[in-house]
Amino acid sequence: MPPLEVRVRHIFSAGSPVVVAVAAVVAPAYTFLSLGFRTSAASLAAQNFTMPALSPTMTEGNIANWKVKEGDSFSAGDVLLEIETDKASMDVEAQDDGILMKIMQGDGTKGIQVGTRIGVIAEPGDDISQLEIPAEGKPAQAAKLETPAKKEEPKQASTSEQTSAQKQPRKSGEKAPPQKYPLYPSVAHLVKENGLGESAISEMTPTGPGGRLLKGDVLAYLGTVSSSRPEEIMKRFNHNSHLDLSNIKIAAPKAPKKAEKAPVKEAPVPENRLVSLPVSLAAVIKVQSKMQETLGTFIPLSTFLERAAEVANSALPLPSNYKPTADELFNQVLGLDKVGPKASRGRYLPQIAALPPSSFTGVAPKPKAKVDIIDFLASSTTKPAPKTRTTPTQPGVSTGTNFFSLTVPKDEEKRAKVFLQRMKTVLESKPGNLVL
Amino acid sequence: MLAGRLIPRTAVRSSFRKTSLPTVVSSVSRWRRGYASQAEEKDLVIIGGGVAGYVAAIKAGQEGLKVACIEKRGALGGTCLNVGCIPSKSLLNNSHLYHQILHDTKGRGIHVGEVKLDLQGMMKAKDTSVTGLTKGIEFLFKKNGVEYIKGTGSFVNEHEIKVALNDGGETSVKGKNIIIATGSEATPFPGLDIDEKRVITSTGALSLDKVPEKMIVIGGGIIGLEMGSVWSRLGAKVTVVEFLDQIGGPGMDAEISKQALKLLKKQGVDFKLGTKVVSGDQSGETVKLEVDSAKGGKPETLDADVVLVAIGRRPYTTGLGLENAGLDVDERGRVVIDSEYRTKASHIRCIGDVTFGPMLAHKAEEEAVAAVEYIKKGYGHVNYGVIPSVMYTHPEVAWVGQNEQELKQQNIPYKVGTFPFSANSRAKTNLDTDGMVKMLADPETDRLLGCHIIGPNAGEMIAEATLALEYGASTEDIARTCHAHPTLAEAFKEAAMATYSKAIHF
Repeated sequence: MPPLEVRVRHIFSAGSPVVVAVAAVVAPAYTFLSLGFRTSAASLAAQNFTMPALSPTMTEGNIANWKVKEGDSFSAGDVLLEIETDKASMDVEAQDDGILMKIMQGDGTKGIQVGTRIGVIAEPGDDISQLEIPAEGKPAQAAKLETPAKKEEPKQASTSEQTSAQKQPRKSGEKAPPQKYPLYPSVAHLVKENGLGESAISEMTPTGPGGRLLKGDVLAYLGTVSSSRPEEIMKRFNHNSHLDLSNIKIAAPKAPKKAEKAPVKEAPVPENRLVSLPVSLAAVIKVQSKMQETLGTFIPLSTFLERAAEVANSALPLPSNYKPTADELFNQVLGLDKVGPKASRGRYLPQIAALPPSSFTGVAPKPKAKVDIIDFLASSTTKPAPKTRTTPTQPGVSTGTNFFSLTVPKDEEKRAKVFLQRMKTVLESKPGNLVL
Repeated sequence: MLAGRLIPRTAVRSSFRKTSLPTVVSSVSRWRRGYASQAEEKDLVIIGGGVAGYVAAIKAGQEGLKVACIEKRGALGGTCLNVGCIPSKSLLNNSHLYHQILHDTKGRGIHVGEVKLDLQGMMKAKDTSVTGLTKGIEFLFKKNGVEYIKGTGSFVNEHEIKVALNDGGETSVKGKNIIIATGSEATPFPGLDIDEKRVITSTGALSLDKVPEKMIVIGGGIIGLEMGSVWSRLGAKVTVVEFLDQIGGPGMDAEISKQALKLLKKQGVDFKLGTKVVSGDQSGETVKLEVDSAKGGKPETLDADVVLVAIGRRPYTTGLGLENAGLDVDERGRVVIDSEYRTKASHIRCIGDVTFGPMLAHKAEEEAVAAVEYIKKGYGHVNYGVIPSVMYTHPEVAWVGQNEQELKQQNIPYKVGTFPFSANSRAKTNLDTDGMVKMLADPETDRLLGCHIIGPNAGEMIAEATLALEYGASTEDIARTCHAHPTLAEAFKEAAMATYSKAIHF
């Protein structure tokens, strides 16, 4: 055989699939071997450049625009064109130097199947006026190339064996699927050593995982070991491969425990406290109107309140009955408890009620069964909170002093006070900071 | 003018909940989570963020399911990452380095000065590894769109799970599918009160604040031997009390186990095999244990500063409310499942330590993927016959498949091939030649039945045996596969050669 001059050209690559064309030059004629995922049918030095698949699932794409003009040279790494798919647009880079000889599908062409010729390229230094444009490979064929490419590899190794294995009707009937290649080293060795052909292989009964032919199967075929042996082992392996779920002894239900639990559930009725603080919204209103005058934007009061609550909720002191989380307990176990939180984020939202200027006393009113927004939202039922109001306050928000109140469990009283105090400070001193 | 600015109270309240201003987005969602009164239905809700749970969550996220994972620890990764495999490996590796620097440098032409142990520093290195890894999972959750609910979940009924949030408050989630992956906890020893200071489990053994003078390990299984090794290397006088006559648990090959025992004894660990602990007393300055021979008749009193209880682990379902979903557990507390991990309620599946099979992180991981595949694709697979085990002592012990005593017991014919590391070039140059590779194969067909390794890097090397078993390879297949020289893996190849024919170098 004459010496083989192989020129491997990684032409274009974008994403994972690499377009590879191998020109195996065997004197005197050119032969083309395909080794890659996809090949461009090459003719002399000019080659078709086909629509690349930028992702495994891509079937077609649009050409956004070419970045290289017809007749221009490019070098490895240059962006040749931009391709759009339904998912994204991507640049296609040149893997090697070359010349863009002709553009077959211009800017903006849509719905080009993967594998369809979109241009013709030549090698660097080629005189493109002298080169002929190769015929277009059938797009359908090119598009399908991905599938045959997978099959091609084993075929090269054992084309004849495989076809004959498929054709040969099996002795034992439907039992064994056609053998998978490559053969295991020991199997290949035994096959060669004993001069077995493909027909012999197809007569063996594979007992390996996924119908693979094992050394024992060849030995059984040869009669070196008993013919039932491989199957026995297979059965044992199959058995071992499953969890043993036989003889499960189900534990008796814990009936007595349930009875114990029942009374415990009734016990805790949390004692709630009402914490309230008069807060003037005058400063907020002032900022609000000032902003409307100067900037022309109206910011609702709710925004101020919301942001004030956000600020006031950060790093509140822990409630007195605070139970460390599992994480903190774990940190204690690891000796990391020094970094544990001394404060935690609150979730308070104050109830706001306008206060008639005359009746302000500074004493928190004591409603009988006032339901706080916290309880209202946390409760599993969706019934609305009862709207009992025994205070001299009015619904709504006044521009002057308002009552900000929270109903919290007893243990959180201090925490809630800190929250309200912060609300007051934020809203009365510099409310402008909340929105700027 | 005034009316324009003023908003009725109710409106203020509702605007708190609905607005999504960029500055408050996070807090709004937090509130929403805290107060959710209407349970949102997910495609999949997973209880437990350990190896089984988090892998299932990520896999489900990748499969496009709407998934939530409930974890109460506050850190993902479960026992394995937080108080198990990962922190113990950190301590094992660093204590080994310390021990080696102390005792094994002269023969290597290295002269070291004064060597001092900084236990706090060693613990910090461990914590850094753990935090990095748990945060990594949290990142993967975000990446795969898994909702992470920090709290304690319990069944309300078979579709709804109530979660007591760690930050306070409560929420509930509904799932079309539910996976229970609540894991396991150390089995306590009756009569001993675990305080994690003097009477500890593996959790406490990972964070002792000083090296105890004397330590007793109850249970000579993998956890006991690993943690015993750590504290023995750091200077504690360690005694392992084991009921059986063999260490390493029932899966370890008896011949390998004997070698491990010999090597660990050489390292200074004391063993009391075939010995049972009768009672314990922790009222005094030291913890006292009354032990006796397993058959009785040889009572003895042992005492130690610290007693490690490592007698096994048990499924953890406390507070899960299994009865509310009508699920069964077996007599050992394992949640009863079928071959597709379904419990009595077919939309609730259960994987990992809390159900059947070996309590291993990688087994849980396999099950997680299989369970999600059953949900999404209708088929999943775990090969329980090919699950490797590793003990990270020095030398390491690793095995996969069946061991010799099992084969004998089941009257399965086998042939054995071994290769010692003392005949391996790389082990020789490393001056680390203890141990061997042992292979068991069918005597007729040569199919690999099991592989047992004790020696340097056994835990990594077992991967090759696992692959060979999964593919039904014969030892000849392994022997005919090229292995790089000089590597420890050559010992693996030579053992295969010794099994099907003859080793070259021994």
